[in-house]
Order: sequence, then structure tokens, then C-alpha cells
Amino acid sequence: MIKHQLALVRRELWEHRSIFVTPIAIGSIVTLGVLAMLVFASGFAAELDIAIFGAQNLAGDPERKAALTGFFLGTSWIFMMALAILTVFYCLDSLYAERKDKSILFWRSLPVTDAETIISKLIVAIIVIPVITAIGIIGTHIINLIVTSIWVSMKGGDGGMLIWGSVAFLDNWLAAFIVVVASGIWMSPFIGWFLLVSAYTKRSPLLMAFMPLFLIGLLEGIILRTHVFAENVLGRGDGLPLFHTVNIEKFFNEEQWRISEDATNLLAHLDVVQFLTSPAMWAGIVVCALLSIGAIYVRRYRDES
Amino acid sequence: MTSLVSANGVTKRFGSFTAVDNVSFDVESGRILGLIGPNGAGKTTLLKALLGLTDCEGQLSVMGLDPFRQRKELMQNICFIADVAVLPRWIKVTQLLDYVEAIHPNFSRKRAEELLQQTKILSNSKVKELSKGMVTQLHLSIIMSIDAKLLVLDEPTLGLDIIFRKEFYANLLNDYFDEERTILVTTHQVEEIENLLTDIMFINDGKIILDSTMDALADSYVEVAASGADADKARGLGPIAEGQMFGKSVMLFEGVSREHLEGLGEMRTPSVADLFVAKVKGARA
Repeated sequence: MIKHQLALVRRELWEHRSIFVTPIAIGSIVTLGVLAMLVFASGFAAELDIAIFGAQNLAGDPERKAALTGFFLGTSWIFMMALAILTVFYCLDSLYAERKDKSILFWRSLPVTDAETIISKLIVAIIVIPVITAIGIIGTHIINLIVTSIWVSMKGGDGGMLIWGSVAFLDNWLAAFIVVVASGIWMSPFIGWFLLVSAYTKRSPLLMAFMPLFLIGLLEGIILRTHVFAENVLGRGDGLPLFHTVNIEKFFNEEQWRISEDATNLLAHLDVVQFLTSPAMWAGIVVCALLSIGAIYVRRYRDES
Repeated sequence: MTSLVSANGVTKRFGSFTAVDNVSFDVESGRILGLIGPNGAGKTTLLKALLGLTDCEGQLSVMGLDPFRQRKELMQNICFIADVAVLPRWIKVTQLLDYVEAIHPNFSRKRAEELLQQTKILSNSKVKELSKGMVTQLHLSIIMSIDAKLLVLDEPTLGLDIIFRKEFYANLLNDYFDEERTILVTTHQVEEIENLLTDIMFINDGKIILDSTMDALADSYVEVAASGADADKARGLGPIAEGQMFGKSVMLFEGVSREHLEGLGEMRTPSVADLFVAKVKGARA
């Protein structure tokens, strides 16, 4: 069973190389952007480039911490958006492409059950992609911290102290890891839905996946004049029950246009117990399981001829 | 002899259309059975039922297993190549071998690599870079490296040129087939495989219209080419089909002994293709 799953997951990663390529591409773009910014800024004034991530004269300790945390949050956000889109396309493709290119009968000619196949796709969407995303975020961050601290040191600043010594990076990396993995679990009902659509639809999986969701929300609004579906399903992404009640004014200092100094430890904002005991999270897992069973059923019982 | 496949009253309906109609037969191990039928006769549906890819009515047992409900166990001992079961285009040859090796308990990677070395297929090629003939060679190399009791081939050589087709069957016979194994094959190109078959089954409109060993075929069916009065005499014995060739009437007899036909004209065992045409026409009349 475990040996099968390993082989099946590896198979998924062979087929969908974008799962690896996308984080590498984003990491490269971010790093190039940071390098460009450092070089560009140094054209203005010798001091300014050091100020980008905070050096002695222009930026103080709070500013530097805020800049480093802001950079980290921004990078993480780009990764999460890109990998979320990638997950949608991965799921929609995973049971559709094999029917389109007729390889499904080859896969089914081997001693693997349909349940094992669907489980491997769930593992990729809910665990593997988020873990790769987190590794991408943390890896990109480390590379950019190295680049920046070298730059700062070259300009006469103490990179070790100014960059590495300022923010609780380990806490922030752990926080990023938790947020990314929790997001995958939180959004799992959509993953189940996309797999079902992918197994079922004869054409345009993207349209078939999103049209019913928007139509139901729209019809509910018109007919019942309520927004239960829109709020709970379409708006699910906003409701991740992982954060302490965030006081946005405390988190983001609008006057100084930066993240407040005492907010730069991101781990302190998370409440893992609240997430693990959230009924909405568990309800999501149940919905994901039911939709996945639907996908298994469709793959098993539909005659492909 | 043990029955490897046993079908009893197997029926498959799609709405009001009956694709396989109350079919019963047995296949013993160590045989090469050709399943011959026109397009839409129900061959593929029957094979799908055998492979557990579709559910059906009636009793169907393959190696003592219910194919649809015990598909995973079944697939450890069955292999199939179907024209519709193509290899994924994105995969590399080595990845394919890695995957099958991890998944299939009876797969010998060493043997697959040996077989592939006899071809022009490179191990780092992707399937989409290979010609159709090479893809079939690749698929066959994998299949022949799996120690399976039953091999099902559904139009395995469709779209291949004659050299590949000949090679395909030669490999199958020389490198794969032995007394322990059973092969079930469907094809349109009957002439190419009739010499390898031990058994033959005709299927038409979902029904089996002939189920025989090749040896028994020669005893039951005879073709006579006669002319003039001899032809009239032969006609009196009730041929199931008659055609004209080189000014002679060629008549096909079923269940008429050769002694009765002696002297009426040149006798020979009919080709499977001729017999098939006669049987299908007879079934439609």
C-alpha cells in the first residue's frame, strides 16, 4: 500500500513537472528582483542600497524588521497564489487528461485500484504541493537573506547582525509552513470537487468546475435572497480559522506604512489548536472525502468506450 | 485441464442495445484463442468484462476471480494490450519501467531491459518521441516481462506496418508463450494469426456463432472446388456457402465428412477468413 502510494505520487510528479518548476521559477524571479533592486538602489546613493533592508544610518531596527517581514510576507503570498492556481489546474487535469489521451486503460491494466489512484492525487494536492510551496518560500527567503546580507556587508554594514539578527526567522518559517499546510487542508473540499469534475466531465473541466459554484451562489442570491453558499463556499478562502483575531491596526502601522515591530513574529499570530478544533475544518475534510469517493466511483464505473 | 476463463450466460446491455447476448464459453490454460468478429460484434465489450473494466450480467470467472469486483487481484495475473489502452505520451521509458516495477509484483525489469535492447528504443526517450510501432514494441516488452497467466490482446497491431506485425506475433510466440500461459487475441487481420491459434471463437451481434479448436475445425469444415455435374452433386449435400473462383464453384461444408465429398473436386480446409464470412452471412440470413 505504502509502496504503491510512493510509486503513484512519484508518477504524478513526473507528469506534472510544473509542481517543481513553478516554485523554482518564482524563487528565481524574486531573487532576480531583489538583486535588481539592490543594484538599482545603489545607483542613487551609497547609503540608500543599504537602507533597502535596513542599515545603520537611514533605517533603524524597527524599520528593518518591518521591511524584512514585509518582504517575507510578500514572497509567501506570491508563492501561495501561484501554487493555489497550480493546484486547481493539477486537480482538474489529473483525471481528465488520462481519459483524453486514452492512457486510462493502460493505468487500469496494472494492479492498482481506483481508490489508490485517487488517494495519490489527494496526497499530491493536499500534502505534497503545500509542502513544496513551503520549501519554496523558505528556500527563496534563505537565498535572498544570504544575497542581501552579502550586499549589506559589501557596503560596510554588518550583514550578520543587521539581517540575520533582527527577525525571528525560524518562527516565521515555521509559521509559513503551518499556514501553507493548513490552507491545503482547509481548502480540501475544493480539491475533492475538482477531482470529481476532472473524473466526470467530458469537456472543459475549468468551466465545469467553476460555473456550477457561481451559478448556485447567484441563484441563491436571486431566489432566496440569502448568501449562505457564497459566504461559506465561495468565501471559504477568507475564513481559515488559524489566526488569532488579528487587529489590523496593531499589525500594520498605517502612519509609518509598515508592519508594527511587535507584529513581526508571525508565529505569534497563529492558533493551531483553534484550527484543529474547528468544526468547519473537519466538515471540509468530510466533504472532501465524499467528493473523492464520488470521483473513485466515476472512474471505476464509467465505461470508457 | 483447468478452465482459466469460464463464462456462463454473460450479457451486457447498453440501454436497449445488447452488446453481449447470453454468451457461455470456457478457455483452458495453455491455449491461444482468437476471438473474431465484425465491428460492433461485442468483442471489445466481452474483453472488457473479462478484464473487469465493465460490469455484466451472468456468471463470469477469470482465474477463479470475479473480474469486476476483484480487479486488483486479477490484474496481478492478467496483462492486456488494447488499441484503446495507449501508453501516456509524456512518460519516459525509464519512468515507465520504474513505475511498473514498483506496482507489479510479477514484473522483471531485467527482462524488460533485455527485450528493449533488441529494439531501437532509447531508455531516456519519451513515448511521444517514438513511432507508433515502437510504442507497441515498448508496450509488448513490458507485457512480456510480466509473469502473467493470461494475456489479452485487443487489436494489438492495428495501424502497424506488416514488418512490425510479423515481429510482434513472432516475439509473442517465441519469447512469451508456453504451456502455463494463455493468450486471448482479437484482430481484423485473421490471416496473420490463424497459424498461431489453438482455438477460435466467432462472435456476431453479441452471440457466439462458432467455438472450436483449430484441430476440430479441419474435421468439421471442408471446402470443395467443383465444376459441372460434380458441382450440382456437391450442392445437393447442402453447403453453407458458395462462391465462384476460376470458373469453379467453391462450396463450404459443415459437418459433411470428407468421404462424401471425395471425387467431387479439389478439397481443402477453408481459411478462417472464408469460414468467418460464411458463418456471419449464415447467421444473418
